[in-house]
Amino acid sequence: MEQVSDTLVPLTLTIDGVHRTEAVDRRSLLVEALRDDFGATAPKTGCATGDCGACTCRVDGAVVKTCLQLAVAAQGSDITTISGLAPRGELGPVQQAFWDEQAFQCGFCLSGMVLAAEDLLSRNPEPTDEEIRWAISGNLCRCTGYETIVAAVRTAAERLGAADS
Amino acid sequence: MIAQDFAYLAAGSLEEAVAALGADPGTSRAVGGGTWVIPECNRGECSPRLLVDLRTAGLDGIRPGDGSIAVGATCTYADLIDSALVARQLPLLHRMATGITGGRQIQNQGTVGGSAVAARPQSDVPAVITAMRATAVVRGLAGERRIPADELFTGAMQSALRPGEVLAALEFPVATERTTVGYHKLKRSAGSWPIATAAAQLTWDEGGRVSAATLVLGGVAETPVPVDVDDLLVGQSTLGEAMAEVASRASAAVTRPWTDELAPGSYRAAVAGPVAQRALAGAARRDNREGGNDGAGL
Repeated sequence: MEQVSDTLVPLTLTIDGVHRTEAVDRRSLLVEALRDDFGATAPKTGCATGDCGACTCRVDGAVVKTCLQLAVAAQGSDITTISGLAPRGELGPVQQAFWDEQAFQCGFCLSGMVLAAEDLLSRNPEPTDEEIRWAISGNLCRCTGYETIVAAVRTAAERLGAADS
Repeated sequence: MIAQDFAYLAAGSLEEAVAALGADPGTSRAVGGGTWVIPECNRGECSPRLLVDLRTAGLDGIRPGDGSIAVGATCTYADLIDSALVARQLPLLHRMATGITGGRQIQNQGTVGGSAVAARPQSDVPAVITAMRATAVVRGLAGERRIPADELFTGAMQSALRPGEVLAALEFPVATERTTVGYHKLKRSAGSWPIATAAAQLTWDEGGRVSAATLVLGGVAETPVPVDVDDLLVGQSTLGEAMAEVASRASAAVTRPWTDELAPGSYRAAVAGPVAQRALAGAARRDNREGGNDGAGL
């Protein structure tokens, strides 16, 4: 009978700018390792099938669903969670827009929604409503519906555009 | 957490992946983007003793060749979307990639090669690469094999790859300047799997008449369904008159329709005709090599 400890492996990640190594069960999904071993609880475990988007993080610059990746496959990666978008106690412009538009209720989808919105605005600073809806189509909200979320992304785009000009 | 323990190998090369998978072909599994294999393992639907990660094996290139482009097995949909070469020379593949559902996250993670090997009936990839006459380049301990796309899909969730073989690349003939494409998929909501898809390519002669036509249906049967429309469309400058016959032929081609939780086979056979018409209508908009989205929810 194999001992459980045999499945522990060292995993080194940079999470929101902090370089750390923890012992991780090699059977863990990345989102499980982030939450349970590194204490980075911003990404949520929802469906574990890649549908809901609650586990979304930016890994080496690209937004991904961290339930679809083995933790060990992320060895050495640079990971940004929603906690890394602004200094502690402050809100980034996309987060502030979600707050102002009351674009969340329970908050379970919020982490993934904000990262999907950030990703859209980084590639397309002036999205149409249709483009916003497409950009968040991999993230499910089961509280408020999507109207206020779309409004928040629109508001964030307007503010970021105004700040740039 | 995946219940069963397994060994994990980040393969440093195709050769290393082939050696590892070939050593114990019945109980090892290759992982590309992970969007299908990882949740399947997590649900306990498979329990390989070894997972071989191909993303580290240098198979993510898009390489132009002589009249063809090789898309590496671990190229993601985002790689295809962001490639000017793919947009220009493989417009149908580009068009398909931009409509992949699940958000930018899935476009960053999912791979066209992985979807081809997974051979899921509802996936976008099988019908599109069949319409494009792609060739799968696979490698095993016995060497390299080249499998034409129309021989790659042998059944639902079954590809022609043998145990221990790995997909290295998909090779696509480049579209000529006179080729237009159309793609249509019918789905319940922005994020859902397609119920039926149609991929169309039309080539036009100098006089503005169709010189070759390809139409392949996806999602409607276990494997892609080609519909022979050459005799209806070749020589035509507009498609209007032939469209009714296209629809009835597409519907008739679905002899053994696929049933799953999204739709019964009878529904899929019934919608095959209109879906085919919309894809061809997109391809017929000759000023638009990208083809139309046709309200598919993009």
